[in-house]
Amino acid sequence: MDKSPYIRSRWFEDLPVGEFHVFGSYTFSEKEIVDFGRKYAPNIYHTDPEAALDTIYRGLIASGWHICAVWMRMMVDYMERFATGVRDGRRNGAGTGFQDLKWLKPVRPGHTLTFTYEIIEKDEKVIRDRWGIIRSRNEAFNQYGELVFSFVIDILAERRPDTQD
Amino acid sequence: MKSTPNRYWQDIQPGETFDTESLTISKQDILDFAADFDPQPYHLDSEAAADSIFGGLCASGWHVTALMMRLLTDEFAGRHIELLGSSGVSRLRWRKPVFAGDGLSARITVTEKSPPATDSPFGYIDCDVEVDNQAGDQVIVLTTSLMIGVSPGAAANG
Repeated sequence: MDKSPYIRSRWFEDLPVGEFHVFGSYTFSEKEIVDFGRKYAPNIYHTDPEAALDTIYRGLIASGWHICAVWMRMMVDYMERFATGVRDGRRNGAGTGFQDLKWLKPVRPGHTLTFTYEIIEKDEKVIRDRWGIIRSRNEAFNQYGELVFSFVIDILAERRPDTQD
Repeated sequence: MKSTPNRYWQDIQPGETFDTESLTISKQDILDFAADFDPQPYHLDSEAAADSIFGGLCASGWHVTALMMRLLTDEFAGRHIELLGSSGVSRLRWRKPVFAGDGLSARITVTEKSPPATDSPFGYIDCDVEVDNQAGDQVIVLTTSLMIGVSPGAAANG
């Protein structure tokens, strides 16, 4: 297999701008929303389904950071499922940062989000003699087809060794 | 049960800073978050992590942002400021890895305010948020827009 179509198995040089992936769909449960809210964002609209009815959200909603964490899980699972040849994750590096993150619609218990990823830019700047930066636009749509979440993230990808100089 | 907030959007001015308490992150915290949300070797396995770009087992970047949210939420609750959500984060950088035993605290600086829409129960404040570790190194920095409850019945032109 000389050419894998999937993210983690490839070098920076092999990842084309415009590549698009659907990571998959995830349904948020009330329990998960409350567990995350209690630990990280203890406001009643994230922790108490009854009291949340009296807030501006008219019911329990997921913390925006919970949506981010689930996005990460969806990406990791997607890459694991399709990775070939690279087992230790070296070729996909750390995120260095993100921009334009928007929480556009509330995510409620039972809502199902579908996560999409598109490479929009590559930064040829070489980081620590080894990495390039892949910039991707990530979006999540709910079961009504509404865009609920979007952001642009920079993630390091390992450059092909013979081009590192 | 509804708490009575006693600081409102009208009372907060650009330039104001809030210094949060600190919290300590344990190895178990790092492993638990990673198992749920970010199961990659450098967040789950000390040996594999030693060989990674981070140089050791470290917290998921999204774990760090979640802990920032906890620090911010507790700080605002302690000051009786009604935090009603956030519309987003215009920019965030992960600057340094967070390791087991690190103590994190945040400084929140209000940079701008936008008035509430007519009859809206909240106005926006834009904040720069910096999270430092116990050595004073910046681990994340971000800019976010927060929804803050307005004074009930007051003219929203604060």
